[in-house]
Amino acid sequence: MEPISRFKPNHTQCGRTRREFLWQVGGGFAGLALIDLLSRDGFFASGAQAASLKRPHFPAKAKHVVFLFMNGAPSQVDTFDPKPALTKFNGTPYKGDLPVGSNSRPVGYLMQSPFEFKRHGQSGLEISSLFPHTAKFADDICVIRSMHTDTAAHASGCLQMNTGSILIGKPALGSWLSYGLGSENDSLPSFVVMTDPRGGPIGSASNWMAGYMPASSQGTLFRSTGAPLLDLATPEGLTDREQRKSLDLLERLNREHLASRAGESELAARIQSYELAYRMQTTASEVVGIDRETQQTRDMYGLDNKLTADFGRKCLITRRLLEKGVRFVQLYSGGGHMEDTWDGHTDCISNHKLHAGETDQPIAALIADLKRTGLWDETLLVWGGEFGRTPTSEGVGKPGRDHNWYGFSMWLAGAGVKGGQAVGATDDMGFKAVEEPCHVSDFHATILHLMGLDHTRLTYFYSGFNQRLTGVRGNVVQKVLA
Amino acid sequence: MEKRLTFRVREYGLQSAAMVCGKFARGLSCLFLAQAALLSAADFARDIQPIFEARCHSCHSAKLQVRGFRLDGRAAALRGGDSGVPAVLPGDSAASPLFRYVAGLDPKIVMPPAGGRLTPQEVELVRAWIDAGAVWPERSGDSSAPDPILQRGVGHWSFQPIRKPAIPLVKNTGWVRNSIDAFVLARLEARGWSPAQPAAPGALTRRMYLDLTGMPPTLAEQDAFLKDGSPTAFDRLAETLLARPTYGERWGRHWLDLVRYAETNGYERDAIKPSVWRYRDYVIAAFNGDKPFDRFILEQLAGDEIPDSNAETLTATGYYRLGPWDAEPADPVEDRFDQLEDIVSTTSQAFLGLTLGCARCHNHKFEPLLARDYYSMVAVFNGLERPREGRDEFDLPAGTRAELHGLAKHEARIAPLSKEIEELRADFQTAHLKGDRSKLPPAARAAFLAPPAKRTDTDRQLIREHQKALNVELAGALPEETRAKIANLEAQIAVLRKATPDLPRAYMMHEPSPKPPATHLLLRGKAAARGPEVPPATPTILRKPDTATLEAPSAGGTSGRRLALARWLASPSNPLTARVIVNRVWQFHFGEGLVRTPNDFGVMGERPTHPELLDHLASWFVDSGWSVKKLHRLILSSNAYRMSRQSNAAYAAADPENRLLWRAPYRRLEVEAILDSMLAVSGQLNSKMSGPFMYPFVPKAALAGSSDPDKIWRPFDESDASRRTVYAHVKRSMIVPILEVLDFCDTTRSSARRLNTSVATQALTLFNGDFVNRQAAHFARRIASEAGSDPEAQIAHAWRLALSRQPTAAERAGMLSFLKFGKLEEMCRVIFNLNEFVYPD
Repeated sequence: MEPISRFKPNHTQCGRTRREFLWQVGGGFAGLALIDLLSRDGFFASGAQAASLKRPHFPAKAKHVVFLFMNGAPSQVDTFDPKPALTKFNGTPYKGDLPVGSNSRPVGYLMQSPFEFKRHGQSGLEISSLFPHTAKFADDICVIRSMHTDTAAHASGCLQMNTGSILIGKPALGSWLSYGLGSENDSLPSFVVMTDPRGGPIGSASNWMAGYMPASSQGTLFRSTGAPLLDLATPEGLTDREQRKSLDLLERLNREHLASRAGESELAARIQSYELAYRMQTTASEVVGIDRETQQTRDMYGLDNKLTADFGRKCLITRRLLEKGVRFVQLYSGGGHMEDTWDGHTDCISNHKLHAGETDQPIAALIADLKRTGLWDETLLVWGGEFGRTPTSEGVGKPGRDHNWYGFSMWLAGAGVKGGQAVGATDDMGFKAVEEPCHVSDFHATILHLMGLDHTRLTYFYSGFNQRLTGVRGNVVQKVLA
Repeated sequence: MEKRLTFRVREYGLQSAAMVCGKFARGLSCLFLAQAALLSAADFARDIQPIFEARCHSCHSAKLQVRGFRLDGRAAALRGGDSGVPAVLPGDSAASPLFRYVAGLDPKIVMPPAGGRLTPQEVELVRAWIDAGAVWPERSGDSSAPDPILQRGVGHWSFQPIRKPAIPLVKNTGWVRNSIDAFVLARLEARGWSPAQPAAPGALTRRMYLDLTGMPPTLAEQDAFLKDGSPTAFDRLAETLLARPTYGERWGRHWLDLVRYAETNGYERDAIKPSVWRYRDYVIAAFNGDKPFDRFILEQLAGDEIPDSNAETLTATGYYRLGPWDAEPADPVEDRFDQLEDIVSTTSQAFLGLTLGCARCHNHKFEPLLARDYYSMVAVFNGLERPREGRDEFDLPAGTRAELHGLAKHEARIAPLSKEIEELRADFQTAHLKGDRSKLPPAARAAFLAPPAKRTDTDRQLIREHQKALNVELAGALPEETRAKIANLEAQIAVLRKATPDLPRAYMMHEPSPKPPATHLLLRGKAAARGPEVPPATPTILRKPDTATLEAPSAGGTSGRRLALARWLASPSNPLTARVIVNRVWQFHFGEGLVRTPNDFGVMGERPTHPELLDHLASWFVDSGWSVKKLHRLILSSNAYRMSRQSNAAYAAADPENRLLWRAPYRRLEVEAILDSMLAVSGQLNSKMSGPFMYPFVPKAALAGSSDPDKIWRPFDESDASRRTVYAHVKRSMIVPILEVLDFCDTTRSSARRLNTSVATQALTLFNGDFVNRQAAHFARRIASEAGSDPEAQIAHAWRLALSRQPTAAERAGMLSFLKFGKLEEMCRVIFNLNEFVYPD
């Protein structure tokens, strides 16, 4: 007799193997719970099998990531990278080898920052006057001043910061984390995105798509007001009781159907997905229902101030999402185009005052709140945009700054991060990363490392080879680690 | 020690991804060259061999090949390592990586990595040896040492010619309706197994409707069919369904997945590709017309190069422009190679089932595919251009050569007339601004009068502000004489336009010259690191003497390379093409292909579960004139296709993945079939075919994630949005949420199969979302009007429409008690959510 093993698949994910099925039903969204339910139903030999899919490579410092995405690209020399020389040479031409700016926009002279930098905390980390609230946590913050990326266009820049590639169609960082670590909660997505009311980032959903991974690991757009998820609410005109009765009927019919088709795993999984969806209706609505928060909390996040209300609300919801075990939350500051984002082409000064003003207090409140609740010890905060801005003005005598991909700043704080320091440096003018340059792939490798994942081992077989978030690049920035 | 070495080399390799500036390296090597003149040529055995043996062979010889490189034979040295770039270019030390690494000319890679550098004398010897032609006295067998990369493919099943296996003999001959059954049954009988029972007639009818048209049968169709009752009824049904236009709408969509079809470019502007929907219509028509698959290949890859090109075949070449396109690339040269990769990857996966795209930066990691092979394929497409530079995406007129010639002639006559009008207007504008009649501020007038190249930012600002006012002034002041002249010219243009052939427009690339630019192998895939030039050629592993280079005489003033490629692909002797497409057709009928990695027939792909059957079908397909419909008929008439989905505990335990095909497996309908079925059942389906895409309903909240929430989507028009889902707008930055959540394909690369996930968001969308609830309401109204007010009749009617069967007694009772309190449309919503609705028996 012919041995059946001859037909054993060679476990590429091009074909759909048993393992892949587990992943598909068990992916980011409410995944573990589904697998638990199926396990409890005796669907798998043991529940441990499913859980083993999601073990980190080594003990993780952080369990959650909050990515505060400053959409449009903040200027490093006005935020976290003080440059005294820029003041000295203010109004003179830039004398470097590399071309300044992008897309042949007019290049002006070097422009000093109008914002004063002061030392903060015990560490004396320098932060500009744009962030008086965040500066209170200077000792928690690790600024990387030597970031650089491969593009000076918003679309490809956002894609690279989010997916590691300037090309469209790759899974986002949050998708990789969902894929690598799974979900810690049974009724919420593991990768949540909240955009700015003025619009999404350029490239829209391609910034949080799952690319070649199953749809279950893609980012879920959460609204900070109203129903947070698409199709979350019971349709208009139906009471909760009617909804429940319809679901009960559906389940009964589906179970009868399954009874004569015993062992059909896909049919069983689909039955369970309706039960989870119903649970999610309640949980997700609860998370955005912040009415019961105290006035003190509202004040801390700036919810009653028009300037800070939106970002404050998102930060507060973020804390509540983390409490429920959501893995990755990404908040966008700025949306739509140009001045509605950090894209200060015409007037970087008032632009940054506005956007820093909207976000500074809420971010500080989130840090304080996470510390209060103890979540701080397991949460990694990431701040920054898709690239930086030029130390020169855009056009002579104008207050704008153009795109700059040769050097910019981002910061990390929280679990596993050595705060109160600045890593790497740009040149004297703040234009190009010169000391310990940190490419976006290095940045991603570092985030994965803090989450307990080795970026060279976190792979997904697709289109003929093992894909990685960091491609063929990436080195963990050791100095960041506590 | 060896381990440490390996590690270090690997590190270097990774860093070297950012390759050195070639110019810098060449400049330095000139210094060395000057010194070199002092030394005489090196002798290999005396001078070079000892260096290689002492310093290189520990990592680069027969026992170990770090980064795939060995330096113990000339052939291997010329071949190079994983990068696919020759390590030694005889006569050109400056360009030879070996010399650059040992000379320290490459800031990222220095060889040897440990044990100290070569001495200056040794370096000089290596240089002199290479420049003198790298003479390497052959030891026996050295030059024919097989390339280890290509060795991987030796004997691999899919690279062998397609055979015509004998049809096996089986015991249970009664089960065999055609050759397929013999192959399937032979494998089952070898294990002592028997195939599943035939599916119930009602279930099989529904299965065939959904498979072939993506929608369930109507009541009349169910009645007619059940009345027939003859044994050949299903064969006739297959015939009927294959003849329906809805067949092409269903099967054309499968092809669109494979060619990464979408209607926008992605990236920042995500602009709509104009007229791209004509490609979609072309595909649907090709399936409906049963265009022979070899011709289908020719038209898409070389529709402009074939002798009988016309509007249809030019539209087919829209294939090349379907991929993502960045209007604002960070690096235009790299971007060009990204676009070529999109074409090479898609073509090699969709037609050949090979992952050639992985060989862009180095030889393929697993497959017998060289970086050279990749760039030889790039050379085939390198002559293609977008119709115009700049951000805008243009379409072009499509027609026969004679039609296009006629159009060009008319355009040539129109152009001077248009120019004359422009000049008249410009002259008058200048005169007007210089005179005293304009009321614009002097600065604005000066700005308009300044030559465009000399305008300042301020000028441009002023022009923006005052353009409207100027237009009003000009319109009022235009002298009667000029006005009449312009009117006369416009009339002449109108006459010419009327006489111009009215050609459809298509979205395509064009090849402007018979001489495409030279294509070079690129080191690590970087445009800046050019290696040797490569000819257009088929992959080495598949190469036969007569397909060494891909050149063919072209009728279109092009290189003919694509035509040569298409003919090679569409040739009966190509071992992959027919196997790959036959496998796809099988997959869309059975849920799994005979090869379960449909886009990967390489050594990493899965082997066929039924290799003889695959070859039988492939050769049968070619002999039948590459007719897809004939292949459908063969499959649909088999008992293998008509098996029930009933499981068998013993078989399931031994073969859980049904690799022996002991039953028909369950599989969920694709999202298009789910939505189209709901539209058909609710009675709302708008069967209008072809033409520009429609905009399905998208909740406002979903648009909020876009950077232009108000502009990207059209207001909801229910009648238009009720067309089949294949006509729904595919926008790369915002896939319609209900499609996305239900596992729509990846639109950025060839997608051979839909994923099938079961997640809670799908349940939310199908239970609470607008589309399903809207269709449930229509369905309820339809039932009430067609079945009257009796709940029992309503239930039976609903069941037959949605599931093509009568409800069971238990179902009837359950529904009756539900309807006592629940509304009819709530019941309809439940029906649309039933497992049975999306998992047909």
